[in-house]
Amino acid sequence: MAGMHMWLRSLWESADAVMRAKAVETIAYEIEELDNIFGVLVLGAFLGIPSPPVHVSMALLPLMTDELDLVLERVLTAHDPLGNLFSVLSID
Amino acid sequence: MSTGLHFFIGKGGVGKSTTSALTALHLAQSGHRTLLVSLDPAHNQRDIFETAFAEKPTLVRPRLVVREIDVDRWVQDYLKESSALLKKAYAYQSAFNLQRHFNVLKFAPGLEEHALLLAFDDTVRRNAHMDDILFDMPPTALTLRFFSLPSITCLWLKELLDLRTRIYAKKAIVSKIKLKSIEIEQDKVRDRLQTLIEDSGRHRRLFTAAATDINLVLNNDPLSRSETERICRKLKDIDMTVTRLILNKCDPQTVQDGLTQTLKTYPLRRFPLSRIRLTGLTALEDYLLHHPCQTA
Repeated sequence: MAGMHMWLRSLWESADAVMRAKAVETIAYEIEELDNIFGVLVLGAFLGIPSPPVHVSMALLPLMTDELDLVLERVLTAHDPLGNLFSVLSID
Repeated sequence: MSTGLHFFIGKGGVGKSTTSALTALHLAQSGHRTLLVSLDPAHNQRDIFETAFAEKPTLVRPRLVVREIDVDRWVQDYLKESSALLKKAYAYQSAFNLQRHFNVLKFAPGLEEHALLLAFDDTVRRNAHMDDILFDMPPTALTLRFFSLPSITCLWLKELLDLRTRIYAKKAIVSKIKLKSIEIEQDKVRDRLQTLIEDSGRHRRLFTAAATDINLVLNNDPLSRSETERICRKLKDIDMTVTRLILNKCDPQTVQDGLTQTLKTYPLRRFPLSRIRLTGLTALEDYLLHHPCQTA
């Protein structure tokens, strides 16, 4: 009887852990993304993207709608850069 | 005849405002149409002339007008203008929450000196009819950033233009292969980059023109002397030269100025210590009457 009780308890604990992990999965992903954005903003210079003087960015930004779309799209596919490259080179 | 630009720079409290006010008054008395502009956010000119100056120039004596630049207002106006342009370009701007970013941009490094540069540009453009424009500059750090901004901007712009030109050369190749002809629309970004390069170059030329004076004000004390040496070095780094040193509040009885060998290489102008407080037009004119050759 005690063995059965122990088995049920461990089953419950495992299920509980899985459900808890699942519940925060989205938030964890969001945190990771926010960490990434924060890192790019603060440490951009270390990634090879130093910022020009603010007024230079401001003067060019209204003319760069297409480029901004592209940059944002690249951010979305940043986790699979090789996939993009392979599709460009037609490699399945 | 081109307008002479005279910058008064130096450590905080050495008397940039007083010496620039005296020089402006002297030039006006000598028949020059003179404009004195306060670019220093501390705005000491209003205390010296005992007049509440504003962006609109005020006539204080025949041929002498004073203008006070409100740097915060220039920053606000610049942000408002940029914000309007961006809103027009990005119809879907609500997705970016641009307004929130703009609220943060107010504190972005580099914005204050850019606003100063816009105000400087505006002053020079509007006053081409003047014989002399004197700029009472902010303390050292901001002044040096102001002077170096056009050079730094120019470096960036030239790199960006180079990259843009390479991108468009490649686009032309693609267009030629695909359409059998080069059909690329005019690149507005490249045009804007070229305009910005011209603007920066114009500012650089104004800073280093023969008709431009850099007056470095100092007092006869060790701290002031060492900061003055540092300013001379920093200006040399951006290819600018101090025209003359102005030794303010010096004792006319003392023969030794205490200047180091490096500082002795620059022409020197002395402003003896005043016996009375130099506030109000009467006091300033009285000082000029008693020290006629100092400001010449």
